[in-house]
This record gives sequence, structure tokens and C-alpha cells, in this order.
Amino acid sequence: MRRRIAAFFESRLPLRDVANHLKKPLPKHINWLFSLGSMATFLLILQAVTGAFLALYYSPSPDHAYDAVNYISQEVPFGGFVRGLHHWGSSALVILVFLHLLRVVLYGSYKAPRELTWIVGVILFLVVLGFGFTGYLLPWDQKAYWATMVGVEIAGTVPLVGNFVANILRGGEEVGAVTLTRFYTLHTIWLPWLVFMLVGLHLLFVRYYGSAGLPQNRPEEMQGGKPFYPDQLFEDAVAILVLFIVLAAAAIFVPVPLEGLADPTDASYDPRPEWYFLFLFQLLKYFEGPLEVIGTVVLPTVAIVLLLLLPFLDKRERVPLRKRPVALTVTSISVLAIVTLTILGGRSPKLETSLETPVEQAESSSNGADQSEDTIQEEDSEDTAVFDFN
Amino acid sequence: MTSETHDGQSKRRAFFKTGIAFISGVISLAMAVPLIGSAISPVFKKGQKQWVDLGLVDLLEGVRHKKINYTFLSKDGWVEANRERSVYVTDEGNGSFVVFSRVCTHLGCLVRWDEKKQQFHCPCHGGVFDEAGNVIAGPPPRPLKRRSVKVENGILYVREV
Repeated sequence: MRRRIAAFFESRLPLRDVANHLKKPLPKHINWLFSLGSMATFLLILQAVTGAFLALYYSPSPDHAYDAVNYISQEVPFGGFVRGLHHWGSSALVILVFLHLLRVVLYGSYKAPRELTWIVGVILFLVVLGFGFTGYLLPWDQKAYWATMVGVEIAGTVPLVGNFVANILRGGEEVGAVTLTRFYTLHTIWLPWLVFMLVGLHLLFVRYYGSAGLPQNRPEEMQGGKPFYPDQLFEDAVAILVLFIVLAAAAIFVPVPLEGLADPTDASYDPRPEWYFLFLFQLLKYFEGPLEVIGTVVLPTVAIVLLLLLPFLDKRERVPLRKRPVALTVTSISVLAIVTLTILGGRSPKLETSLETPVEQAESSSNGADQSEDTIQEEDSEDTAVFDFN
Repeated sequence: MTSETHDGQSKRRAFFKTGIAFISGVISLAMAVPLIGSAISPVFKKGQKQWVDLGLVDLLEGVRHKKINYTFLSKDGWVEANRERSVYVTDEGNGSFVVFSRVCTHLGCLVRWDEKKQQFHCPCHGGVFDEAGNVIAGPPPRPLKRRSVKVENGILYVREV
């Protein structure tokens, strides 16, 4: 029976060709770093699957989003686990895609004829960051609201079209209901379609040009190694299993943060982006006044363009890393800069909360009305000024 | 390649293949349980039972198939929402009441009381019920559901979940 079913499909589909293709030998010299791509692919699938199930209980509206996410974490059986996998998985994905990219840079795998694989890969990296940016608005907590506010303002600093772009992203002048449905749609429909098309293209190129292997492979060794299936795939599977165990442990033991409900009036909150945008957050502090645009637009754009053009800027023969002092230096400095900025960003002190006057409500006297009487008067006069102005 | 190393190699490859299948199985299972569990969990969720006020017994004296709409607060996922229901109430005397659910036992459309014919008619697939809620025509498999009721302190209550 099993044989007959197999024969049915084999006579109708080129299954043997596909199988043979998967058994194609890899380059002779290869190491475990070549599993990073498979690990990233696995994570992408994990994100898609966990996301699809989280969406069953999510509602992209400011009235409901926060409660829905709380409901997932607190009341849905396994909900906290699934959300945990999705949350920690997103961080892991950013790390893995970055490491994968770094591996390709250090081994010079981006060089001819694999320029297209590289370009699609760089775009994939940006799309993954896009997933992160659109994803963490969805819980509609304080972090979500404020990080999105600042993130969109960054887009707003682009000369000439900035405000236009920011309004498109927000769907208006302010981060609100329309922004949330936009980000949700981007996160769950537009970007997934884009990412799966790009991954398909990326894998097609990887199979078409073959793995680049280590730089020391001589031309005759390029097809002289173990087959992808089952040898390499087994190593990938082991790496994926380890990754999965780590993520599952994180999902079980490390609670996913959910801050207070988004509050546009809460000036005592110190907005911080997700950790993988901290380097950018920190970078922005160094460019003051008219130089602002250098941090928000010029440097990121230059970095992205340089990355995309890398195979065309560095056209020398592939040689082992020890013979590429310039590449090694530039990469090391870049990585060091990103890591340092991330650490500095993470450690950057929060503003003294005492600078923000406590919220005063007519009924409550518990917040020390006496102590901030002066300030309240100031605020009042400010309010009046606004009214006068109007 | 000698046949010995060839043997060793095919043994190794067989191990790799089993390993890949094993790891895929472990991860799939570890994911399937929480994912499917979370997706089907509402099925096992029990609502909070409550008695909802349908009105003063004095005002319902002698009513026959009187339509009463009522609302009650209930938890709907992450929201506390007002739900609305419609029932037919009949006073059977001696302080006992029959409250028919209007939900047709076929596929859930709301039945209507036809005073002239003294029957309940379903607007969807032609189900007809008699005064006592029994099926007399059409596809419904069961009589109309009688809701649990109680009378307390002169008030008629219906049970909701």
C-alpha cells in the first residue's frame, strides 16, 4: 500500500529529482556556523506558527489589545508558553540572522557569484527588524506605545518627506487605533508574505549557487564534502533542537514583560526600545540640533546601502579571513560599536522621576498636594496660556 | 572506498536519518500540545452560572407564550459584555412557569410564536413546534428547550451560564 502511494506521487511529481538535489554534496570544508541559516529558518517558521495561534486570541484595538494579551498570558491554557516562545523567539531570530550575516561577511561568502543571495539576505535582515518594530506595539503597553511613538518620529526626521512618511506609518498625526491596526496588518499579513517570498528566493539562490563553504575550499573541493541530506541536515537538526530547548525553557521560566496599559499622558515613563534597537536609541543622543538627521537617517541609510553593495565594493578573490585585515578590522569595529552602543543604551540612566509632578486628581490628596502646589499652579497657568492661544 | 567504510557510512547515514526524524517528531509534538491545547481550550471553559431576573410574577400572571427579552452580564474572553436573549414565558398556574428557549433545535435560528395557528415556526428550514414545544413538522430533531427557572420572592428567574 505504502509503495503504491509512493509510486502514485513519484510518477506524477519530480520527487526523485528533489531528493537527489538535497543529497548534493556540500563543499569539503564546512563547519557548524553553516547551521545558522537553518536555525534562522526554523525560528521564522516557529514565529509564524506561534503567531498564527496567538492571533486567535488577539484583538488589534486600543480598547482590547492590552486585555487580550493579558488574557493570553493569564487565562488561555498554554497561552503564556506560546506567547513566551513568540516573544523570546523574536529576539533569538534577530540574533541568529545577525550572526548568520556576520558569518557570511567573515567568510566572504557574499562574493561572486552569490551577490543576489547576499542582497536578499540583507533585505531579510531588515524585514526581521521590521517584524520586531511592528510586533512590539501589539501588546499596547507603555513600552509599546512609547517606543512606537519615538520610532515613528525617527522616520519623521527624513528631510522633506519625513512628516508624510510618519503620518502614513501612524495613519494620522498620533499613535492610536489606526496605527495599531496598521502595525497588526503589517506584522501578520504584509511582512509574512514578504518574508516567505524572500526566504524562498534566498533558499533558491543558496541551492542554485551551492553553499560557499569555507574560503580555503579549492575549486575541486567545492562539491567534495558530505551531502546536505542527511549529514548536514542532521547537524542542523541538533542545533535546532538545542535552540528550541533554550527557547522553551525561556518561555516557561522567564516571564514575558507586559508593562502598564499605554498611557499617552504618563510623562513619568522613560521610553526605551526593544534591546535590538538600543544601539540606534543610544546613537541618537550624540547628534544634537541640526545634526539630528545624521543619526536618524544618514548613518542608518549609509550602513544599509554599504551592506547591500558589499559584494560590488569588495570584488577580490575569496581568501581566508587572516588574509583580509581590512575586512576583519572594519567588521570588528562595526560589531564592537553596535555592542557598545547597545550596552550604553541599556544602561543609560532613567530621568529622575521627581522631575515629573505627581498626577493630581480632585478627590485624592495622597500624592502630597502640598509639596507640588507651586508646580500645579505653573501647570495651570500653562493650560490657561494654551487656551488664550486658541 | 572499501566496502567496510562504505558500510560504516551507510550505517552513519541511517542514524542521521533516524535522528532527523526523531528531532522533528520531538519538536512537532512539543509544539502541537500547547498550540492545539490553547486553540481548543474555550471548549472546556465553564461559564459562571447565574440567575437572571425575568420580571415580577404578579405581572406575568396568566401570560401565554409571552416574548421576553433580557440582558445579563457575562465574561466574553477578555471583555465583560452584556448578552441578550429572548424567551417565551407561559404561566402554568400555581406559581409555575414554562420558559421556552427560542433557539430552534435544528440549526439555531430563533422560532416565532404564531398566535393564530398556536404553533412555533422556525424561519429557516420550516421547523414547526406545538404549544408544548414538541416537533410537529420539519427537520428539528428535538423539542424546544425548556429553560431552568425558579420563583423567589415573587420574581421569576431564568438560569444563564
